[in-house]
Amino acid sequence: MCMGGPPVAAPRQEEEEAVLEVRVHLLGGGRYNINDNADILSEILARLDGRSLAASASVCRLWAAVSRRDAVWEALCLRHVGPASAGHATRTVVAALGGYRRLYRLCLGPALDRLGRAGALAHAQARARLSLSLSLSLFSIDCYERLGGAGGGGAGRQQPPSSLLFLCKPVDVS
Amino acid sequence: MKREYQDAGGSSAAAAGDMGKDSMMSAPAEEEEVDELLAALGYKVRSSDMADVAQKLEQLEMAMGMGGVGPGAASDDGFTAHLATDTVHYNPTDLSSWVESMLSELNAPPPPLPQTPSLASTVTGGGGFFDIPPPSVDSSSSTYALRPIPSPPVAPADLSADSARDPKRMRTGGGSTSSSSSSSSSLGGGGGCARSSVVEAAPPAAAAEANAPALPVVVVDTQEAGIRLVHALLACAEAVQQENFSAAEALVKQIPLLAASQGGAMRKVAAYFGEALARRVFRFRPQPDSSLLDAAFADLLHAHFYESCPYLKFAHFTANQAILEAFAGCRRVHVVDFGIKQGMQWPALLQALALRPGGPPSFRLTGVGPPQPDETDALQQVGWKLAQFAHTIRVDFQYRGLVAATLADLEPFMLQPEGEEDPNEEPEVIAVNSVFEMHRLLAQPGALEKVLGTVRAVRPRIVTVVEQEANHNSGSFLDRFSESLHYYSTMFDSLEGAGQGPSDISSGPAAGGTDQVMSEVYLGRQICNVVACEGEERTERHETLGQWRNRLGRAGFETVHLGSNAYKQASTLLALFAGGDGYKVEEKEGCLTLGWHTRPLIATSAWRLAAP
Repeated sequence: MCMGGPPVAAPRQEEEEAVLEVRVHLLGGGRYNINDNADILSEILARLDGRSLAASASVCRLWAAVSRRDAVWEALCLRHVGPASAGHATRTVVAALGGYRRLYRLCLGPALDRLGRAGALAHAQARARLSLSLSLSLFSIDCYERLGGAGGGGAGRQQPPSSLLFLCKPVDVS
Repeated sequence: MKREYQDAGGSSAAAAGDMGKDSMMSAPAEEEEVDELLAALGYKVRSSDMADVAQKLEQLEMAMGMGGVGPGAASDDGFTAHLATDTVHYNPTDLSSWVESMLSELNAPPPPLPQTPSLASTVTGGGGFFDIPPPSVDSSSSTYALRPIPSPPVAPADLSADSARDPKRMRTGGGSTSSSSSSSSSLGGGGGCARSSVVEAAPPAAAAEANAPALPVVVVDTQEAGIRLVHALLACAEAVQQENFSAAEALVKQIPLLAASQGGAMRKVAAYFGEALARRVFRFRPQPDSSLLDAAFADLLHAHFYESCPYLKFAHFTANQAILEAFAGCRRVHVVDFGIKQGMQWPALLQALALRPGGPPSFRLTGVGPPQPDETDALQQVGWKLAQFAHTIRVDFQYRGLVAATLADLEPFMLQPEGEEDPNEEPEVIAVNSVFEMHRLLAQPGALEKVLGTVRAVRPRIVTVVEQEANHNSGSFLDRFSESLHYYSTMFDSLEGAGQGPSDISSGPAAGGTDQVMSEVYLGRQICNVVACEGEERTERHETLGQWRNRLGRAGFETVHLGSNAYKQASTLLALFAGGDGYKVEEKEGCLTLGWHTRPLIATSAWRLAAP
């Protein structure tokens, strides 16, 4: 990663703690450590794809904290489904349902994988564009299932939520 | 006695095993004339000949170098490879002569063709013999039309040899091939005879192809067994339709054996249909089981069906889209769900309403459900769960549960809001939703009209109807049977195609497999109802989209076109399902159908009150 100026990115391992330092020479001298500014870090991470973003959580504690911010995952999700589709109420609703990170993990990620694979097969059906409404619908069903039987005793039969299982079964690409 | 049993068992096992059939040869052959168990399969072998036949089969096997592999694998063998090209299917029910012909072919140039055996199988039972006219199957859909098995002319030499060998050939009447019937000598004692279904497969026209040249023989086992299986099912259904229950019984017993030779979806479908036919033939009407276990089981099956295949999800999503569009701009909305079950359709709608521009309306849901056998109020539990969900996403939610044994019990006043309606507030906009509920009403005359009248009385903005796209309600049993055989075969195929691979979610090791099995049981119960029940008990009275259009049109409703949004969403949803290649969404005059390859299986339609 480089920011402005002559790009000199020199990651270096510090002694005990694995703190990644990106030393950059800015115009006019001076050094800059990305870890000093979590907001810029989150801006950067927001541009990653899902897998990399998840992996970045294992870099160091700061990165783990930043990559868990929902805003980062929100940017990722909206990038895939079209940012125009999100109204101002979307954030509240998604937060209530479990957050964008969860949405990506449970719905969008597997769905994009599945569609990507299907697209590669180049079959007659046009490239299906995953819409926010569809993924939110699936997400809400899953959230509903997890609510479980509160209130009355009932049979107490707690089935693990499985409405999204179909997304995780491997595609037969024979 | 015991040794005889073992001998008979052993030799018949050898004979049967070599033929690639895994039939259970455990009972001794009681009859002296023809081995009963092989006869049940359609093979006619005299018990005294058994050792002979077995020996010859072993010789044949050695000659062909198959080493115990069934004839189905013969195509792999170089020796028989050439046989795969121009072949003629023989029906080797006359086992002895067939084996004889195979052996002599190996040892010598092809002899004159073996005489076409008469296709009789004995069954213990009433005296005399009766004719079963060939079923009309051959004239029905081309899937079941079988190429006539050519029956070559009888060579006089063979005729005498065979007639000496098989004095027990039964005269079977009209449909049998000409040559063999003429040679039948003594009728042999007792035993009514029922023609195996395979007989029907060789119509009299077979004699016309009498001059087929002497060609080598290949038996394609599984395919032929599959065709025989379908034939057995249809012939049995026809027998049932004609109230010919003894014939039906004989046929019904063959089905499990034939089904065992198939694999995958066909086997399961045949098993369910066979069981349903057996119930019908033996008059075992399943009592409507109102126990708690059954209700919970039905719920469980429904839930698994929901997860394993896209039909229900498709139904919910498209209906929700129509309702959402109908509710555009309304501040108070009311949805009436004719079959709330677990309420899986509504979280998605609530979420969509929460996110619509202008904010969510205040939402009221009336869920209708059947009476529960125990004290728990399942409807209230579902309502509570939905209320919790609605509270999470901040949608104003009200719920009312209505218990009704049948939808016809509903009256318009039950669907009206409680309490005084504030005259300043705008009236609520109503949507009625019915997923797989309307066809049940057809079991009672007049029920559907009453329900549609009730629906009209509440003046809904939109009515969404999802039904199976098939005609399982025609007057003729055979029509119903063959239609449903087609339909459920396609359904099972789609389950087979989609439910593959282990699930890697921690919720269960074979969750994928469990889902599929449960869905099959769910469909199996429907099959049982369509085939085995009659009158009021037969609630699975599916009708096609065209038929529903007529009914709803007569009741004063007109179609609302489901927009392209719904179509796109449905297509995307299906692409997400494994095996998504097979599912096809089609639009048919404003209604959406979901099908497997070329066959539509589910149809969603939306309606509103027609302008007077």
